[in-house]
Amino acid sequence: MMMAALNTLLLFLVALSIPGVINRTRARLAGRRGIRFMQHLYDLRLHLRKGAVYSSVTTALFRAMPSVYLGAAVVAALMIPVGELRPLLSFDGDVVCLAYLLALGRFALVLAALDTGSAFEGMGASREALYGALVEPALMLALGTLALLTGCTSLARIFDPAVLPGAQHAIVLLLLTYLLVKIVFTESGRVPVDDPRTHLELTMIHEVMCLDCCGVDLAMIKMAGWLKTAIFSLLAADTLAAAFCLRWWIAAPLAVALTGLTVGVVESTQARNKLSRNVIFILTIAALAALAFFTAYLLQLNIGLA
Amino acid sequence: MFFLYTLFVLALITAVVCIAPPKAKAWCALTFVVGAGAALSAKAVEALAGGRTVGLWAARSLALGRDSGSLDPLSAFFVLLIAVGAAAATLYSRGYLGHALDRKSPAHLSLHYVALTVMSLSMLGVVASDGGYSFLFFWELMTVASFLLILFDAERREVRRAALAYLIMMHVGFVLLVVGFVRLHAATGSASFAALTPYFADHAFLPLFLVFLAGFGMKAGLFPMHVWLPEAHPAAPSHVSALMSGVMIKTGIYGILRVVAALGTPEALRTAGLIVLAAGIATGLWGVILAAAQNDMKRLLAYSSIENIGVILIGAGIALLGKSAGNPGVALCGIAGALLHTLNHSFFKSLLFFGAGNVLTQTGTTSLDSLGGAARHMPLTAALFLIGAAAICALPPFNGFVSELLIYSGMFKGIASGSDVLASAAGLTALALIGGIVALAFAKLYGTVFLGSPRSHEVAEAAEVDNFRLAAMALPLAGILFVGLFPATAATIVTRAAGFFVRTPVSASDWLLAPALTAVGRTAWLLIAVVAALAWLRHRALRARKVTQGPTWGCGFTAPNVRMQYTGESFSEGLQSIMPSLTRQDGEGDAVVKSEIFPSAHRFDIRRKDRIGNLLSAWWVELLHQINLRVMRLRTGKINHYILFALAFLTLIFILSMLNLL
Repeated sequence: MMMAALNTLLLFLVALSIPGVINRTRARLAGRRGIRFMQHLYDLRLHLRKGAVYSSVTTALFRAMPSVYLGAAVVAALMIPVGELRPLLSFDGDVVCLAYLLALGRFALVLAALDTGSAFEGMGASREALYGALVEPALMLALGTLALLTGCTSLARIFDPAVLPGAQHAIVLLLLTYLLVKIVFTESGRVPVDDPRTHLELTMIHEVMCLDCCGVDLAMIKMAGWLKTAIFSLLAADTLAAAFCLRWWIAAPLAVALTGLTVGVVESTQARNKLSRNVIFILTIAALAALAFFTAYLLQLNIGLA
Repeated sequence: MFFLYTLFVLALITAVVCIAPPKAKAWCALTFVVGAGAALSAKAVEALAGGRTVGLWAARSLALGRDSGSLDPLSAFFVLLIAVGAAAATLYSRGYLGHALDRKSPAHLSLHYVALTVMSLSMLGVVASDGGYSFLFFWELMTVASFLLILFDAERREVRRAALAYLIMMHVGFVLLVVGFVRLHAATGSASFAALTPYFADHAFLPLFLVFLAGFGMKAGLFPMHVWLPEAHPAAPSHVSALMSGVMIKTGIYGILRVVAALGTPEALRTAGLIVLAAGIATGLWGVILAAAQNDMKRLLAYSSIENIGVILIGAGIALLGKSAGNPGVALCGIAGALLHTLNHSFFKSLLFFGAGNVLTQTGTTSLDSLGGAARHMPLTAALFLIGAAAICALPPFNGFVSELLIYSGMFKGIASGSDVLASAAGLTALALIGGIVALAFAKLYGTVFLGSPRSHEVAEAAEVDNFRLAAMALPLAGILFVGLFPATAATIVTRAAGFFVRTPVSASDWLLAPALTAVGRTAWLLIAVVAALAWLRHRALRARKVTQGPTWGCGFTAPNVRMQYTGESFSEGLQSIMPSLTRQDGEGDAVVKSEIFPSAHRFDIRRKDRIGNLLSAWWVELLHQINLRVMRLRTGKINHYILFALAFLTLIFILSMLNLL
C-alpha cells in the first residue's frame, strides 16, 4: 500500500514537473532565463477560478466531456508503475485497458470539438481521430514486444525487476524507448507533430479542439494532457531503466528528463511537420514497433535454440 | 411429423397475423416471438446452467437420414441472443411502422409481420437443430423470410435490387451448405454437426472446412462475400436491419464455430486457425476502412457489422491457434472473447440501427451531410446512440471493451507464452488499427448527425420518437450496461457456452478469466466514480460563478453559417488520403471546378463504393447477360417449336444411350 501511494505520488509529481522542464529547456536554448518553473500551476489556478462562456450550439455533452477526458486519464495513470513500485491498479491485460482508456478520452475530446459546430474544431477533431487511430497499432505492438520479452501481460509484472529481460535484449529496449518517446510527441501534441504555440487555427491539432473551452474546463483538459504526457514518459523511462537498473529513483527523474529535454530541444531546433508528413511520422513509429517486435522475436528464437 | 407441425405453426401464425387489425399485428407478432423465445430460453437456461444437452425433437426426415434438435450450451447461448434481439426488433417495429400503418395495405403489413415472426422463429430453429435436413430447412426459411422483410419498401428500385442481390448470394451460400451436408452424410451416414468429428478424423479436413466456411461466411458477411450487407441494410426497414445485422448474421458465426469445434488434430486446428484469423483480419480491416468512408448512417453501420464479424473471427482464429498449441488459456480467452463479442455486437448494433431508424423517420434522411444537431431535438435518441457508439468503439466502461479485452488477452497470452507469436502479433496490430479507425468512423457518424448545428430544416423541426421505440432501445441498453459493468458475471455464462470448444472443467475456466474480469469490472466502476466526482466538482465550482452563452468562436470570422461545419466527408478525408485505392468514388451532379472563382449553387453527391462490389457488375455478368439474350431466341412462344425441342431432347438421349455415353 505504501508502495502504491509512493507510486501515485511520484506519478503526479512527474506529470506536474514535465511542463516546467520543457519551458526551462526551451528558454535556456533560446538564451532566456525563462518563466518560473511552476508557472503552469499558477496559470492553472487562474483558470480554475474563472467562470465560463459556452457556445450556444453546444449540448450537455460538451459540458460533460472535460470530466470524462480527465477521469479517463486519471484512471489510466493509476496503472502505470514507476520503476519497481507497484501501481494501484494492476491485472492481466491492463495494457489493453490503458490504451482504451486513453482512446475513451480522445473520443470524448473529439466529440466535444464536433459539438461546437465549428469548421476549425472539426479539422482538429478529424486530425486527432486519424492520428489516434494510427498510433494505436504502434502502441499495442510496443506493449506486445514488452510482453514477449518478459512473458507477462500486466504492466506491473512487465516492469518487475524479477522478470527483467536479459542484457542481450538491451537493443530492443533502446528501440522501444525511442519509439515511446516519439509516441509522447504525438500523443501530447508537440513539435514536430503539432505546435502548441502556433497562432494559426488552420494548422492546429490539439489546441484547436479546445478553442471553445474556458475556465475550469480548459484547466481539466490541460491537466489531462499533462497526465497523458506523464503516462507515456514513464513507460519510456521504465523501458529504458529496464535495460540497466529498474529503480523508482532512476525511473522518475529519467521520465522527466527524457521528455522534458527532448521535447524542449526538438521544439527549439525543429520546425513542425507539414500536416501530410505527420501521417508518415506516425507510420514510422508503427514500422519501428514492428521492427522492435521482430528483433525481440528473433532474439528469443535464438536463445531457444542455444 | 415434425415438419408437419412446423407447417401448422406457420399457418397458425399467418392466420392470426392476417385477421388482426393493422395496429394489433405488431402485438400478435410480438406475442409469438416472445412466447417462442421465452419457451426456448427456459430450456436454454437449463442447458447453460447444467452444462448439458437438452433434447428437443427427433424424427425421421425426408432426406439426409435421422434428424434431431437439441440445445447444448453453445446453442443455448445463441438462443438467448436471438430471443432478446428478435423481441427488441419486433417491439421497435410497432413504433417504427406506426407511420406506415395508413400508407401500406393491410395485406402488405400482414406479409411483413408474418415474415418477421417466421424469421425470428426460424433463427431459433437454426441454432436448435443438430444439423442436416432441419438445419437446412430453417436456414432457407430464414433466408426467404428476411428477403420478404427487406422488400418492405418494394416500390423503390434500389430496394428491389438489394433484395434480389441478397437472395441470389444467400442461395449461392445455401448450395455450398447443401454440398457440405450431403458430403458429410455420404461419408458418415449422418448429416448432423456431431458427425463432423468422425469425418474430420478420417478424411482430409480442408475441402469440407472451406465449403462450410464459404457457405456460412456468405451469411456472416465474410470478406469478400460481404457485398450484400451494405446494400441490404440501408434498403431494409430499420428494425429489419437491426434484426439482420444484430442477430441473423450471427447464425453464420454459429455455423463456423460448430465446424471448427469438430476439428481434432493440432495440424488441422493450426491450419484452420490461420485461415480463420486471416479471414477475420481481412474482413475487419476492409469493413472498418469502408465504414469510415461512408456518408450514409445505415451503410456505415452495415460496414461496421462486417468489421465486427472480422473481430469475432480474429478471436475464433486465436482460439484455434491456442488450442492447436495446447494452450488452454489462449484458447479460452479467444473463444470467450469471440462469443461475448457476438453477444455484444447484437446489443449495440441493434441499438445503433434503432437510433438510425429514429433519425430516418423523424428527419426523412440518413445521409450524414444533410443531418446535424439532432441531439438538441431528440435528446434521448442521442444519448442512447452515444452509448451504443461508445460501446462499439470498445471504450470502457461498456460491453464492447470487455469482449475485445478478452481477445487482446488471448493474443497477449499467446505472445507471452511464445506460441504462434507472429500470428498473434498480426492479430494484435490489426485489432488495434481496427479499434482506432472504428473510433474515427463513429466520431464522424455521431458528430455529423447529432452534434453541431442542423444542416436542414427537417432536422431543426424533428421531435423525439414514441415510447415503444425507446422501450425497444432500452432492452439492448440493459445488455450493454450489464456486460460492461459486471464482466465477471457475463463471462461465467460465456465460459459455459465455450465448453463446446475448450474442454476444461467449468471451475477451471472461471478461474482463468475471473480475476482479470473482476478487476476490469472494478476499473469500470472506478472510472465512473472518478468521472462523476470530477463532474460534481466542476459543477460546484461553476455554481457561484458567471456562466454565459455566446456564439461559437469563429476564429475572427464574424458571419459563419451552418454549411461551414465540418462534414462527414471532410472528417474522413485524412484517412481517405492514405488509403485512396480501397474505395471507388462515385459522384453525381456537377462538381465545382477549380477555375470558378465565385462558384454558384452546385449539387454534387459523393458515394464511396466498395471495389469488391465491382465483382457483381463485372464483365462476366455482362457476358452472362449476352448469352442469356442468345438463348432467349429459343423461347419463340410457339407450341410446335416446343414440341420439336422435346423431340430433339428425346432423340439426343436416345442417341447418347445407344452410344453408351449415359
